[in-house]
Amino acid sequence: MKKLYSNKPVIFSLVLPGILVFLFAVLAPICLSVYYGFTDYTGMGEAHLVGFENYANLVHDSAFGRSLRNSLLLAVGFICIQHPLAILVAAVLDKLQGKAEGVFRCIYFIPNVISVAVIAYLWKFIYNPDFGLLNNIAKAFGHPGKINWLSQQNAIWSVLIVLIWHGFGWGMLIYYTGIKNIDPVLYEAASIDGADWWTTFFRITLPLMKPVIQINVTMAVISALKQMETVYLLTNGGPNNSTQFAANYLYQQAFKAFKYGYGNAIGVVFIIICVLATVALNHIFRDKQEQREK
Amino acid sequence: MKENNIKIVKIILWIVLVAVAVIQLFPLIWLVDFSLGSSNEMFTNGLLIIPEKIRWDNYVKAFVDGNFLHYLKNSVLINTTAVVLVVIISIMAAFACQRMKWKLSGFVSTLLVMGMMIPIHATLLPNYKIYSGLHLTDTVWALLIPYVAFSLPQGMFLMTGFIQSLPKELEEAAVMDGCGIYRIVFQIVTPLLKPSIATVAIMTFLNNWNEFMMASTYLSTPTWKTLPFSVLEFTGEYSSNYAVQFAVMALTAAPAVIVYVILNKHITKGVAMGAVKG
Amino acid sequence: MKKKMLATLLTAAMTASVLTGCGGSAQESASNAANDEAPAKTQTADAEENETPAESADEAVTLKLFSNLPDRKNGQGLVEQMIIDEYMAANPNVSIEVEALDEEAYKTKFKAYAMDGMPDLVSIWGQPSFLDEVLDAGVLAELNEDDYAEYGFIPGSLDGFKKDEKLYGLPRNTDIMLFYYNQKMFDDNGWKVPATTDELLSLCGDIQAAGITPVAMDGGDGWPMACFLTDIMVKVAGIEYADIVSNAVATGDFTAPEIKQATQILVNFADAGMFQVGYDSQDYGTTMNLFTNGQAAMYCMGSWDASMALNEDIAPEIRDNIRAFTMPVVDGGKGGANDIAAWNGGGYAVSANSAVKDEAIKFLNYMYQPDKLSKYGWENGVGMSAQDQTAYLTGNETELQKQIMEILKNATSVSGTPINDCGPSAFKTAIESEIQGVSNGSTPVEDFLAAIGAACK
Repeated sequence: MKKLYSNKPVIFSLVLPGILVFLFAVLAPICLSVYYGFTDYTGMGEAHLVGFENYANLVHDSAFGRSLRNSLLLAVGFICIQHPLAILVAAVLDKLQGKAEGVFRCIYFIPNVISVAVIAYLWKFIYNPDFGLLNNIAKAFGHPGKINWLSQQNAIWSVLIVLIWHGFGWGMLIYYTGIKNIDPVLYEAASIDGADWWTTFFRITLPLMKPVIQINVTMAVISALKQMETVYLLTNGGPNNSTQFAANYLYQQAFKAFKYGYGNAIGVVFIIICVLATVALNHIFRDKQEQREK
Repeated sequence: MKENNIKIVKIILWIVLVAVAVIQLFPLIWLVDFSLGSSNEMFTNGLLIIPEKIRWDNYVKAFVDGNFLHYLKNSVLINTTAVVLVVIISIMAAFACQRMKWKLSGFVSTLLVMGMMIPIHATLLPNYKIYSGLHLTDTVWALLIPYVAFSLPQGMFLMTGFIQSLPKELEEAAVMDGCGIYRIVFQIVTPLLKPSIATVAIMTFLNNWNEFMMASTYLSTPTWKTLPFSVLEFTGEYSSNYAVQFAVMALTAAPAVIVYVILNKHITKGVAMGAVKG
Repeated sequence: MKKKMLATLLTAAMTASVLTGCGGSAQESASNAANDEAPAKTQTADAEENETPAESADEAVTLKLFSNLPDRKNGQGLVEQMIIDEYMAANPNVSIEVEALDEEAYKTKFKAYAMDGMPDLVSIWGQPSFLDEVLDAGVLAELNEDDYAEYGFIPGSLDGFKKDEKLYGLPRNTDIMLFYYNQKMFDDNGWKVPATTDELLSLCGDIQAAGITPVAMDGGDGWPMACFLTDIMVKVAGIEYADIVSNAVATGDFTAPEIKQATQILVNFADAGMFQVGYDSQDYGTTMNLFTNGQAAMYCMGSWDASMALNEDIAPEIRDNIRAFTMPVVDGGKGGANDIAAWNGGGYAVSANSAVKDEAIKFLNYMYQPDKLSKYGWENGVGMSAQDQTAYLTGNETELQKQIMEILKNATSVSGTPINDCGPSAFKTAIESEIQGVSNGSTPVEDFLAAIGAACK
């Protein structure tokens, strides 16, 4: 058995496809990005090495700063709006027995399976000041004027709403599963002690959900950083970069402004930030867990 | 008194749940509603319209001019292939790293899972360069490779966990019977992983089904374009006809929604299993 | 009558020829030296291929056309498709595959293509922001200018498509910036076409009071607003427009009083609520639909949209009443009513590395036969082509077409390239984004001018 399980050629053949995919589709592009990040390549013609010039420019690039701030805002929005709502709804749903539970769970998840392309265009119409759904709702409540949901000041919030709406079912489902995994004995004990729903929720459900919440928070931060598709189709970063995100910005710089080298420099910084964020979050949460275990 | 209280709480719960359901669904109802009218009817103050005449021909236009069947076929084909590849590659690699004895197993395992941290869009620029250098742009590979590559870390991560929890006894028995490693992986272990495979497959499918950024960067002809292109191309072609645009959006959303509603229980279970672990 | 029209058309066009290309002097310096080699190479390749002409006459050939006209059922897209279908019918061995994207998406993807391997035929713009870098990279095939002597191109219209006297593309239209308006709506309400910007402002007030959006503006895309700014600047600076802009692009200093004043006027317009709510985030289609559905009284766009008058998707009571006027004069400005913002922008070119370059050029030449693009375009209500169209006047033109013809006929000067296309693409990207900020009031005019100046360096 031992011999069979340490047969090198066999091991090699098993991991080779995975490694090849990793080398070709993940590592190679990153290396290429690092290289082009040091050049003034426009996308055509020849590339010249320019050292750290691109990175120096990046520090002063207000649009890039804006895109990082937007990511942060989005992450905070997810954590402070989407997740509390999702936990609450999941907890409520858990109390509901029978068919209705499944039906609601199904409905909440539906936006998640719809293509971002459809979602983004649909919300473009919903936000339209002249015939959009939201303005008609506002009108029904007596608001007279046309509201510009995608103005420079409002746009980032409007983007946030779309993303919260689109991802709500996902977050809800994960919390819901987490709650379902909590031992019902604990609830029985609580109800014998005479605890009401809120007490049970704060004393039992939330604390036991901590690991799930941590995973979800990590995912929220990462997905806020990686945001591109919805923004690309809904606002394309505008008006005037107010809804810019790193991924969209590097795309624009490379393929619109003919700054392929600069775009790659943004890509490199972007990757570093994502990796650092993931590592940092894991670290923070692990530390806490260890402390508790002690 | 207490009975009453419970009743009131129940009613409030229902109101909350229904309100959330309405928020989640109403935009889609709005979409379908307006897709059956004419463009002029868009400019109304009402929330919904009752179309003067139900225009199914909007959908006919969307179906034919949106290249719907062709793009749907591509989407299904590419996504299924990606799912199969991700499942096979991740089972093989996860087994090798988890069960077999070699020095670098931990390192390789971490390496493959690390891909999860890399933002996929950061590779758009260099990958474009690589694929065009290798003449892979506008071929099915330009989609398959990144789709597999960026679903693999998650698949690998999940599979490692699942394989870890399998009892070793079965494999030991198989070794006694003189099975080789490949037979153990594909005939003994794989069947045991069925629920996990479903999870990985669903996660991979959901990840890639809606993807269009890479498709729009790497593809040019309609040969391999996927379903989101029905919408993307259509809005340009029919920019002056809103109702038809709505029809194509509803049509594009339909396959995934229908499949989801039918398989809702399994998909929910799969996602829950994958997400809580991952 | 017709002859006189031809003559005036020509004079107008001659003036155009003087001004196309942003004064020309500014952008010649840096880029030219490096690319003498690339075009030379393509030229030799040309020569070699020409030795074996028409060899592939019956072989199956597939041409890929990358187009910026996604709407294949109306206007220019329809015209393009008609010619393609005709060509394929006449040459059964040739099949032409079209990939069409919206202007913004088109330009992005074009640059991706330019990196490695382009489709055989492409839409291009004969403007520095687009063409300079593309020609530097040598990705477009050189065309033989003598081939087109009989094609009736308006003198000067080819200039934007040339580099070092060599021709790399052909223009499709003569574009004029216009205010389209709904004449019936104007008549019903007693509104009059404004002669000055002050009148325009007070007209917009009246229209707003009637609960209608005055002007539909595609501000989400950035370039239409930049063209609009160009239009204002032409009224402010008159024939000095091109020099002022090319000077500003060269030095990165946009503080010239004319530019400042024109920007301020744009800001005043936007402040006064001239554009629809949310104009700075709405796209082309949405904006146009606002006008064609009677929600806006005017619509600001180039003359290529004159085909609205024949678009079956638009209700007849609106499409039959679409008329146009040009930017009214600015009080104290140097530009007169007949100094207009116009240019020869869009066109087609052939990829230098195309495997079927000869076939592609053959099709290109076919498209530009005077009785194709030019004639069909005219018949389908698309503005003015870049070729002499006098032979195709039918007398059945839409009122809108007649008006546009009149505007061009009466023009005393034309601006040439719009401001956003006068610099490198980094400048174009910057101004098209920054102009949203300045018009919606979140960026002060000075900051706007500084930001677009910085992008030139």
